[in-house]
Amino acid sequence: MPARRILTPATVFACVALIWWLAGRAGWTNAYLLPAPSTVIAALSDLVASGALLKHTLVSLQRVLLGFALSVALALPLAVLMSASRPARAVLDPLLEFIRQVPPLALIPLLILWLGIGETQKLGIIVLASFFPVFLGFRGGIAGVDPKLIEVGRIAGLTGRDILTRIVLPSALPELVVGLRISLGYSWRALVGAELIASSAGLGYMIIDAENLARTDIVLAGILVIGAIGLLSDLALRFALGRAFPWLSTDLEAARA
Amino acid sequence: MLELIDASRHYDVAGRTVRALDGVNEPFPAGSITTVVGRSGCGKTTLLRLLAGLTEPSSGKAHHDPARSIGVVFQEARLMPWLDVAANAAFPLKGRLDRAEIAARVDEALTLVGLADARRALPRQLSGGMAQRVAIARALAQQPDVLLLDEPFSALDAFTRRSLQRVLIDVWRQRSPTVVLVTHDVEEAVLLGDSVIEMEAGRVVGRVPVDLPFPREATDPAVVDLRRRILGRLVGGADPFAL
Repeated sequence: MPARRILTPATVFACVALIWWLAGRAGWTNAYLLPAPSTVIAALSDLVASGALLKHTLVSLQRVLLGFALSVALALPLAVLMSASRPARAVLDPLLEFIRQVPPLALIPLLILWLGIGETQKLGIIVLASFFPVFLGFRGGIAGVDPKLIEVGRIAGLTGRDILTRIVLPSALPELVVGLRISLGYSWRALVGAELIASSAGLGYMIIDAENLARTDIVLAGILVIGAIGLLSDLALRFALGRAFPWLSTDLEAARA
Repeated sequence: MLELIDASRHYDVAGRTVRALDGVNEPFPAGSITTVVGRSGCGKTTLLRLLAGLTEPSSGKAHHDPARSIGVVFQEARLMPWLDVAANAAFPLKGRLDRAEIAARVDEALTLVGLADARRALPRQLSGGMAQRVAIARALAQQPDVLLLDEPFSALDAFTRRSLQRVLIDVWRQRSPTVVLVTHDVEEAVLLGDSVIEMEAGRVVGRVPVDLPFPREATDPAVVDLRRRILGRLVGGADPFAL
């Protein structure tokens, strides 16, 4: 099965590339608006050779990982607190629901005014974009714990704390995992969006800079790299989670960021 | 001693009061094995939940000795999906005993229920009957002073049910925990109980001592006779076998 799991998507990508190449070859597309695959690959290898791609990718990756980690670090304790405490829910729920409705990219102008155009502003956008899926996933998971399993814990004489760590948290894990995967995807998208608007490095910046120089081949190369890294990071997260929690394998297939 | 003293439990369902348990006075002497029999909805499960301390009585009292450990087998297996069979069986013991002692108890309990070879399986890989046997092993591994079972064998095939009924009697004879077993199967109630409590509409309507030696056979005339009498009372006085 693993061979087919790689083969099928590889074939799909190859077919798309073939159609793309044919379209250019047959003159259906404008070579400036949609450069041929070979041109894009050439641009990509130039970017690799000059080290520019590595530099921009590392900058973007570092921002994403930091922002994502910050989101998770905020979301997990807050989800536990709000699941456990009615007053915390009463106070924080309306606020968080309000913030959740505002698209993070719409806050960029405000974040630039408050946080400047440096790293803090980018982290702010990533956190805004990636906080809610982890937070809501974990809360949903906690709320969805089977009360019958909690009774098993009560019969065994577990303390409230033991019930939390030995029953509630493991029960909530499948939904948390879905939230983590969606969050990681959102972090990545929001970051590239942020880099398009105010930045001097990163993949989003690389793309917008190429657009200003009318280099559509670099724009396309950047898009390919962003998509590929998104896919790879999701795979890596699934792999790590599957290793750590083998019983989750079916849940891991369920979620798509 | 485990005891219900004028214990009632009422639920409000859509504005109406449902009396799940209505003024029950029953002692469950230490080391006895009592079976509770009645139709679905007669309050058997509520009685067991009161004894387990999972439900508080609306009035009256459920008296248990807090120093005594309780093991419960529910109608459903209630296994933790993230733990394998052995870890599920060890669940109540973790952190209370040292590892070697837990491993020994889990081994023994899994062997008793015939699942010694399935210890590494995850719950989703088990059939309903196997999962229920893990739940039984989990309660047995606890070696509790009080063992409460709610229709523990109803999800099992006839052969497995029979062998696990024997396991229960063996465990009871060796360690003499106080056992209360709820069932809708009158034959099972007679085969396993040293007394049978008959329930109807939230009330205890009879308590029948069963003075027969273990192991009992379903075909034993004394068992058949007792079963017929209890069944007759529970279906409303008529002898169900009379034509």
